[in-house]
Amino acid sequence: MLLIAGIVPDNEYPLTVGKVTQAEDGRSLLTDGRRIPCAQGTAAMLSTALAVTKYLGLEAPYAVLAGDTGSGTGTRQIYNYLIKNITKLSPQVLSLHYCLPILTLMQQLHLAVREVPQKPLLIADAGSMYAAKASGLAPQFDLFTPDASELAFLADPEAIHPAYISNYLFEGDITKAPEFIQQAYRINGAAKVMLVKGSVDYIAAHGQVLEKVDEPNVPELECMGGTGDTITGMVSAFIYAGFALEQAAIISAKANRTAGLVTKVTPASHVGELIQQLPRVLKENLCSWSGLCTR
Amino acid sequence: MFWKNFNFSLTDKAPDKAARLGDAEKGLVIFDTVEEAIKAEKIIKAAGYTCKLVAPPPRLRKGCDLALEINLMEQGAMEKALQGKVIYNGIHPLNGVAELLNAVKVTNYDEYVMVKAGNMKLVFAKKGGLIVNTSGGGCPDIPYLNIMLVGQKLSEAPRPREMAHTLCGLMLDRAFEVALNIWEGGMEHAADRGNRSR
Repeated sequence: MLLIAGIVPDNEYPLTVGKVTQAEDGRSLLTDGRRIPCAQGTAAMLSTALAVTKYLGLEAPYAVLAGDTGSGTGTRQIYNYLIKNITKLSPQVLSLHYCLPILTLMQQLHLAVREVPQKPLLIADAGSMYAAKASGLAPQFDLFTPDASELAFLADPEAIHPAYISNYLFEGDITKAPEFIQQAYRINGAAKVMLVKGSVDYIAAHGQVLEKVDEPNVPELECMGGTGDTITGMVSAFIYAGFALEQAAIISAKANRTAGLVTKVTPASHVGELIQQLPRVLKENLCSWSGLCTR
Repeated sequence: MFWKNFNFSLTDKAPDKAARLGDAEKGLVIFDTVEEAIKAEKIIKAAGYTCKLVAPPPRLRKGCDLALEINLMEQGAMEKALQGKVIYNGIHPLNGVAELLNAVKVTNYDEYVMVKAGNMKLVFAKKGGLIVNTSGGGCPDIPYLNIMLVGQKLSEAPRPREMAHTLCGLMLDRAFEVALNIWEGGMEHAADRGNRSR
């Protein structure tokens, strides 16, 4: 099971658990029969993960969702559900996404995950990544997918949130990423593998950059809400498919850029346009990128 | 004209009484929620006192939270100003507080301008001032703010600050504020901006 957890930007949306399916309109998603609002964030991540699992012929992702527009109510429902049920669910991959970073809940979830007989691979992005780092649990995670600002946060030993990073770290552009990656590992602010999303994507492990992905260059992607979520959705699905963490990260970075290119995105494009192109991108490129040429 | 007054420094160097106080004189008002902190800042400033929003130190933090840095010597007055209007946990002496990131970067595209404040970005169309995208951030109000803002004109959109709960939302409000200033200052000046930071 690929299990993805995150909030939905609708306070009326109850705690919902189930397999993700495509709605009849072909755009929105359903979980347990309930429509997930089309939006950046976990919805974009789920859409992408579903597109990849469908392309690879795998079981669709499962989702744990709840409505939350900032108060933390939905976040608490999600984390409390996971803490109570993670052993029963026993996913192979657990991907934690948008939420209010509540450090005590992250610590409780980590303790619960340790009790799972087959420990899942742990991925975190967005608020869940903030909580993992701020609670000192980053090295327990298998993959983080920060952008450049979030990398600076992971590299700042004092920061409890990306809004509080030191200015000298914020000044550094993406070309400083290798330095920040080293620092993040040094202070235990990094996961085992890091996929740093930016104008250049960096894949790193053990404090060292393993690969840089900078082609095709599509600067407009930075403007679009949700293009980081699509990478995290993709890499979660590829890891679930059995790809090595590093390889899954490299393929995802390449696929996101290529989807942006073929979509001809502008700063005003919606992330849904990009997701629609993913099956085509994978069909045309996955074989050469990965050696997986069966489809 | 906004541009003539815009100071492109990397940190907020605006004179601030609280910023000049010695540590021994500083205190922190601690809140359960960001909304209460923002409300308290407005009340304290309206009452004529100096204060600023800051990160609480690790021993007091809860997550996406804010504290209000005040002059501890004025604690009684602060409590009086906040009493019955704001819910807060207590007022504590300062210890190792960080300052909220105040760096802004503006990027020009042919038809759009992207404003990045901290980890948050807002993109608007040069023609018409329509907000076309927001991105960055990982707190739970960000997808909601995206829905509320995209498709609205800068001049008519609700302020993110009024809807936000978290620090990401607060940073998006900063991006919004700069974008609105750019828009109101006239787009003929936007081309001169290039990629700069303050």
